[in-house]
Amino acid sequence: MTPVVVSRNEKERVLIEPSINSLRVSIAIKQADDIERILCHKFMRFLMMRADNFIILRRKPVEGYNISFLITNFHTEQMYKHKLVDFVIHFMEEIDKEISEMKLAVNARARECALEYLKRF
Amino acid sequence: MTEVFQFGVEPITCHAWNKERTKLALSLNDNEVNIYSRQPGTGDWVLEHTLSGHDLRVTGVDWAPNTNRIVTCSADRNAYVWCQDESGKWSPTLVLLRINRAATCVRWSPQENKFAVGSGARLISVCYFEQENNWWVSKHIKKPIRSTITTLDWHPNNILLAAGSSDFKVRIFSAWIKDIEPKPSATSWGAKMPLGQLMTEFSNSTGGGGWVHGVSFSCDGNRVCWVGHDSSVSVADASREMAKTQLKTPHLPFTAVTWISKNTLLAAGHGCCPMVYAVEDSGKLTFVSKLDVAQKKEASSLSAMRKFKSLDRTARTDSSDTTLATLHQNTITGIQILKGDKAGATSVSTCGSDSYLILWNFKSLEESIAELKLA
Repeated sequence: MTPVVVSRNEKERVLIEPSINSLRVSIAIKQADDIERILCHKFMRFLMMRADNFIILRRKPVEGYNISFLITNFHTEQMYKHKLVDFVIHFMEEIDKEISEMKLAVNARARECALEYLKRF
Repeated sequence: MTEVFQFGVEPITCHAWNKERTKLALSLNDNEVNIYSRQPGTGDWVLEHTLSGHDLRVTGVDWAPNTNRIVTCSADRNAYVWCQDESGKWSPTLVLLRINRAATCVRWSPQENKFAVGSGARLISVCYFEQENNWWVSKHIKKPIRSTITTLDWHPNNILLAAGSSDFKVRIFSAWIKDIEPKPSATSWGAKMPLGQLMTEFSNSTGGGGWVHGVSFSCDGNRVCWVGHDSSVSVADASREMAKTQLKTPHLPFTAVTWISKNTLLAAGHGCCPMVYAVEDSGKLTFVSKLDVAQKKEASSLSAMRKFKSLDRTARTDSSDTTLATLHQNTITGIQILKGDKAGATSVSTCGSDSYLILWNFKSLEESIAELKLA
């Protein structure tokens, strides 16, 4: 089947490559600045190292994307299809929120540290 | 009455009924076929025999009603014909398919003197029993198949075979075996029918697209219907010069289809709900009704308690259920006519990846669903 790209803009894309017994979903996450790039990279690396526990996650993302899922016929036989769909959608919704939260936390910590340090002067 | 039976937790790959509909052969996604028989008193299913002989997953089962033989095909590139002796034991006979890829589907012919096996080797093996050597011999149909054969159905005249493939085409071949049957007379599909002759070829879509998942000849053999992965249902009519009509449905793709009367089809698949379609004489396809009208789940006063319970247990505020509104909880993998035939079926059975086998009774469904009119 022909691969489909669903995108909000150039930076945020989802590539769906179906085949007769499996499906690969790759997500490119919006990374506006350096901090977001680093956070995204580390976050995705954290998840992908634990890909075995996620079952449907791939250990390496597809070229040009940040994270990839591989869902095979074995997975749809063992798990409910509609819950798999719910999971992927929930995942995508949460990623942006998590990265923004982490960025805020990093900035807050940086401010705190700088404040404490400069109190001495 | 719609009856639901569950056979374990594994998906049911395929199923077949015996002539009296008292015994059921099905495969639970492994290399064995289980034969269950229905207890007359309680109506429960009891495991009677297990047919093990295959090394890899069984992909197709068919039970010949009159000769009481079962044929099974598997991903291990073999097919076995099972015969039952006087003591009731089933014993296999290997069929040499001569394929170098997995077999995907198998069907006995209407007169049960031969069967056809579709395979990933891009060919169809038509097998018949050779008396002199006492074994099953296969003849191949190769040209012009370009990809795996996913589904097969025989024409009532025992000669023509419809094959759906993952190269997006449905083809009607002649499977006439000179050694076992007389020369066939001309049909609306053509006159000359040597073995392997391509009578007609239909493309699932002009853009090319949509693997064919299920194909079925009508009771008179003049029409053939198929379902494709592009969520479409199509009918082609030989009596109106191979006119093809297609209906693109808004549902998930169907995996199986069968005629249930002269003008109605039943299709089922990834949407987990069997759908009835009507075909008019002009060929126009219309959606009639779903067979599975969901029972309304009561959203009672307990919903507040359920909300906090789910918040506590799974940290989720939405209390959407895991269970689907339909009876089947996962893809429907096969449809078999239980009572009646393609000219007028009164009951069908569907098996699914949720390991459910559901028997649908049209009479009672017609009464409960207003739009359902099976003519």
